[in-house]
Amino acid sequence: MPGLELKGVSKFFGNTCAVETTDLSFPEGQLTALLGPSGCGKTTLLRMIAGLEDPTHGAIWLGDADITSVPSHKRKFGMVFQSFALFPHYSVRENVAYSLTIGGMDKSSAYEQANTLLDTVQLGGFGDRRIGELSGGQRQRVAIARALAQEPSVFLLDEPMSALDAKLREEMQVELRLLQQRLGITTVVVTHDQREAMTMADQIVVMSNGRVEQHAKPQQIYHEPANAFVADFIGKANFFDGIVKDGGVVIGKNRLQIDANFQSGSPVRVAIRPERTCIVDTPGDNTITAKVMFVRDLGPLREYHLQSDIGPVIAEYAAGENNPDLKAGDTATVHLPVESLRVFPQANAA
Amino acid sequence: MTIADDIAVPPAPATTKSRAFPTQRVLLGLLSAFVVIFCVLPFILVLAISFGRKIEGAAWVWDFTLENYQRFFVGILWPDEITFLYLQQLGYSFYFAVIASLLAVLTALPFTLLLTRLKRASQAIWLVFILSSLSLSEVFIVMGWDILLSNNSGLPKVFKETGLTAWLKDVGWFQTLRDWGLANPRNVKFKTSDFATILTMSYLVWPYAVILLYPALSRLDPSLSEAARTMGAGRWTVTRTVTLPSIRLPLFGTSLLLFVFLLGSYVAITVFAAPNKHTTAVAIYANIRGSNLNAPFGSTQAIMLLISASVCLYLGHLFNNRAQAR
Repeated sequence: MPGLELKGVSKFFGNTCAVETTDLSFPEGQLTALLGPSGCGKTTLLRMIAGLEDPTHGAIWLGDADITSVPSHKRKFGMVFQSFALFPHYSVRENVAYSLTIGGMDKSSAYEQANTLLDTVQLGGFGDRRIGELSGGQRQRVAIARALAQEPSVFLLDEPMSALDAKLREEMQVELRLLQQRLGITTVVVTHDQREAMTMADQIVVMSNGRVEQHAKPQQIYHEPANAFVADFIGKANFFDGIVKDGGVVIGKNRLQIDANFQSGSPVRVAIRPERTCIVDTPGDNTITAKVMFVRDLGPLREYHLQSDIGPVIAEYAAGENNPDLKAGDTATVHLPVESLRVFPQANAA
Repeated sequence: MTIADDIAVPPAPATTKSRAFPTQRVLLGLLSAFVVIFCVLPFILVLAISFGRKIEGAAWVWDFTLENYQRFFVGILWPDEITFLYLQQLGYSFYFAVIASLLAVLTALPFTLLLTRLKRASQAIWLVFILSSLSLSEVFIVMGWDILLSNNSGLPKVFKETGLTAWLKDVGWFQTLRDWGLANPRNVKFKTSDFATILTMSYLVWPYAVILLYPALSRLDPSLSEAARTMGAGRWTVTRTVTLPSIRLPLFGTSLLLFVFLLGSYVAITVFAAPNKHTTAVAIYANIRGSNLNAPFGSTQAIMLLISASVCLYLGHLFNNRAQAR
C-alpha cells in the first residue's frame, strides 16, 4: 500500500485561511495522528485527503499518482466520521456491505464479506441489528468495519473516539491500533486528545491555527517540543518567561542556566516537564525556593503544586519514587535541571 | 378503620381555588362551545343533510334516505342502468391531486436541498420569500396563470409571435403536442388541459412542499452522503441509496398532506380542466351553490370526499408506523 504525500497544500474559505501551505508525508503502513485544538485545521486537512474538500493550492499524491483532482468516490479511502455517519435505514450488515453492493458485488457475497469484517471488529452476530439498537462503541466498530470493507489504500478517521466515554475510548484506542497494525493500512487519525495520539500514533502532526507546528514521533514530540505551543499542548509543562543574559535566563531576581544559544536580551520562555522538576534537600545550581500550596495525590502519581518567585511550579513524582514528605505550607527547594529545560523564543510562545 | 382515616388531612387552600375554579370552567365551556359550534356542527349538518331528500323544482327536506349514497356509487339511473359519473369525478380528484402533489414534492425536493446548503442569511431570505407567497389566494394565483396560459395573450401568443410554433411544426413535434391535447390546428394551447391544471395545482402547493420538507432536509446529516461518497458512491447513487431513504417519511408525509389539500382544489380545476374531467369538489359546488341546487347530494359527495381523504390519511399513518417500527 503506497504512502500519502501532501505537497504545498493549503486551503482558504473565502479570505479565511483554514490550512497554511503544508508539506507532509504519511509513510506507508503507519498511523499518523493530526493533533491540535478545535479549529486548527486538522479536519480540513483530513477532508482534503479524503477528497471532500478541494485544496486551494498544492497537490496530494498517493504513491506515484497525483490524486488532487480525483473525486472522493473514486479515491476509495476508508473514512470513519466523528458522528460515525452510519445509515439508519440499513441494518448493520447492510451498512458494512454498502461499498461492496454499490460496487456491483452480488448481495450474498457482499454479506458474507460483511460478516467476516464484523467478526474482525468483534461484532459477529450483530449483522441483523438496526443502527439504533447499538451502543456508541458498537457503532464505532461498525463504522470501522464499513470503512475497511472496500479494502482502502488509506484509512482516515475523524475524531473517532470523541463520542465514546473515557473508559471505552481507552479500550478502543488500543483495539484500533492493534487492528491497524494487523492490516498494515496507511492511517490518518484526527484527534484533539494528546493521550489518544500518543497511544496510537507512529507519527504525530501537531497543528495550530492552520499551521503544522511539529511533525515527529510521539516521544520526540513530548521530549523535544519544537516550540512553546507544542510543549504546552502535549502533556503538562511549567513555563517561565525571562530575558537571556550571559548564557542564562534572568527571571525576576533569579537566574537559570540554560543549554541554548540566544542573543543576550532576547525574551524567552523556559519550559520544563513536571516529572523533570525535582524537589531537593539543599540549594545549588538552578534551584529556586518555593512554598507548597497543594499536594495532589492521584494514586499512581503525586503532584506538588508550588509557588515560587518565578511563578507557579508543578513537580510530579510517580508512586514508589522517592516522594518528598511535604504538605501544604512547607517550604521546598526546587531543582530545574539544565538538561531538562527547553527554551523557546517568546514570539513563538502560545 | 384504616390508616388513612387516622391521618390528619391539612385543609386545602380553598379560598384561592374557589376563586380560580369558575373562571377556568367558564373559559373551558366557552372554548368547547366555540369548537362545537364552529368546527363540529358544520360537519354534522353536512352529514345530516347528506341523508336529506331533494324536492324536484324546489329545495330539499330533512329525511333519512340512502338514495344519495346509492346515486354516488351507481348513478341516478340505477337499477335500470349503472353509471359511474360521480366515482369518475372522485377518480379525477385523485388523479389531479396525486400528480400535482408528486410534481410539487419532486420539484421542491432539489430546491429545498440546495436551500439547506446556502448560508443561514440566504436561507432566511428565501424562506421569508416563500412564506410570503402563501399570502396569495388561490383565486389570485389561478388568475395569474390563466393570463399566462391563455390562448390570446399568454404563452401561446409568445409561441406564435416568436416563431416557436412554426419551428415546432417544422420539426414535427407540433403533432405530438396535438396528440397530447396541447395544441389546436393553428397554435399551441394550454387551456383547457391536464397539463395546465396540474401545473397550476402544483404551483399552488409548492411553497407548502418547501416549508414542510425544509426542517427534515436541514436536519439531514451531511456526513451521511459524504460517507457514501468515500465508499465509492457517485452523486446519483448517494441520492438513491442515502438521501432519499433518509427522508422517505417526510417525503411521504408532505406528499400525503399536499394530496389531501389538493383533493378539494376548486378554482384551478374550474379554470383549467376540461369539463369532462371536473372533480368532486367542482360537482359539490354545482350541487350546493350552483345550478343543480341539490344540497343533499352535494353533501353526500362532500362526505365521500372527506371519507376518501381520511382513508388516505389513515393508510399513510399505517405506513408511517410500519416504517418507524422497521
